[in-house]
Amino acid sequence: MTNMEREDGTTREDLVQRVALMETMIAEGRQSTVRFGWIFFLWGLIDLVGVGWDELKSDFRWVWPITISAGFVLQFIILALRRKRGHRCGGSMRGRSVAAVWRMMGLTVLLYVVAAIVQHKAGQISYIAAILMFVGMAHAISAMILRWLAQGIVAGIWLAGGVATFFVPRSYVLSVFIAEMCFGMILFGLYAMWMERQDAAVVAGQTNA
Amino acid sequence: MAEFEQEGGMTRDDLVQRVALMEAMIAEGRRYTGRNSWIFVLWGLVDLTAWAWQNYSAHLGGMWAWPICLTTGVVLTLAGKMIQKSDKGYSRNNTCSYVMGVWGMMGLAMGIYVASAIVTHFSWQYSYIAGLLMMLGMAHAISAMLLRWGMQGLVAAMYWAGGVAIFVCNSGRATNAIMLFEMGVVMMLFGLYAMGREPRRSGLQGGCA
Repeated sequence: MTNMEREDGTTREDLVQRVALMETMIAEGRQSTVRFGWIFFLWGLIDLVGVGWDELKSDFRWVWPITISAGFVLQFIILALRRKRGHRCGGSMRGRSVAAVWRMMGLTVLLYVVAAIVQHKAGQISYIAAILMFVGMAHAISAMILRWLAQGIVAGIWLAGGVATFFVPRSYVLSVFIAEMCFGMILFGLYAMWMERQDAAVVAGQTNA
Repeated sequence: MAEFEQEGGMTRDDLVQRVALMEAMIAEGRRYTGRNSWIFVLWGLVDLTAWAWQNYSAHLGGMWAWPICLTTGVVLTLAGKMIQKSDKGYSRNNTCSYVMGVWGMMGLAMGIYVASAIVTHFSWQYSYIAGLLMMLGMAHAISAMLLRWGMQGLVAAMYWAGGVAIFVCNSGRATNAIMLFEMGVVMMLFGLYAMGREPRRSGLQGGCA
């Protein structure tokens, strides 16, 4: 056995290759999140529209059901259009794991929101805090899987918003929600979309070269 | 190019090896859950103790039942994990790390959600209890997707159903009964089920701590 070789027969080259493979997998996972950055942007806008509409027409009970349904319709239309253009989710293990996190988060929020709205409990403080916590938890898990500090910070912003909802006076809860939509959703979505452009520019540069 | 070789340069043997590796990772991830399933049993007991203390021995500092029991639960969980970590011979792969990330982040989100609600006296709201069950359902659902584990998916569905049922029933007595069922029966039964699976397998190949 050479001194470059460990007891289990793993050479330095093997380790370097493994590290390179792991880095590639992490990068692939981030790319799959970045490719769907527009969804954060879209839902940030949709929620802000819902908040604005609710403020203007507070006696109209169908504001949120209509807004959320419109959001889903828009999301599916854009997804279908992007698929037609050849944008597809990465098939790596990390990419699939992150996709699982967001799908389950979506399902959880949907079930929770629908049940609360139907039973007129959507005005409770715990309801708003729980939604912020669900999104923060999904960001935190995704950040752990992708080892992505920027997303970890976004998770922190969401979780802090959830805590703040309990502590701030009732009249400020809406401001917390709007701040979360602007910073945690729209800004992160724009950042992800910007990263997608950067990745596309790098790929185009490599193709031209 | 050989007949059995794909365009990507991957042979049939490569594919078989990859599938075998993925299956091994998923199996190891399930073993991880099994090895840590005592935590489900512990938290089921912690919740039942706190509930019984608050409802049947309220004169013995009932308002401190949840803070004391939850803190004890956290201390016992950390102590148990430290004892487990000192046990050598357990490897950890990506799937284990992801599942660990899911439960770690769920614990963090739930911890600050519960603490904030108790401190600000919002823990009486139905949406607070429903939010807890939804959060647990989300963590189980993500883990079930990562591990492709039907039984855990069923557990996730039971938590979600509990969260929705709290809103639908809209009564204190029903919320109590649902909470008891979810924490006492679902959590502990799943913990015992996973513990029952773990010894048979860990003796064969080791697992992840």
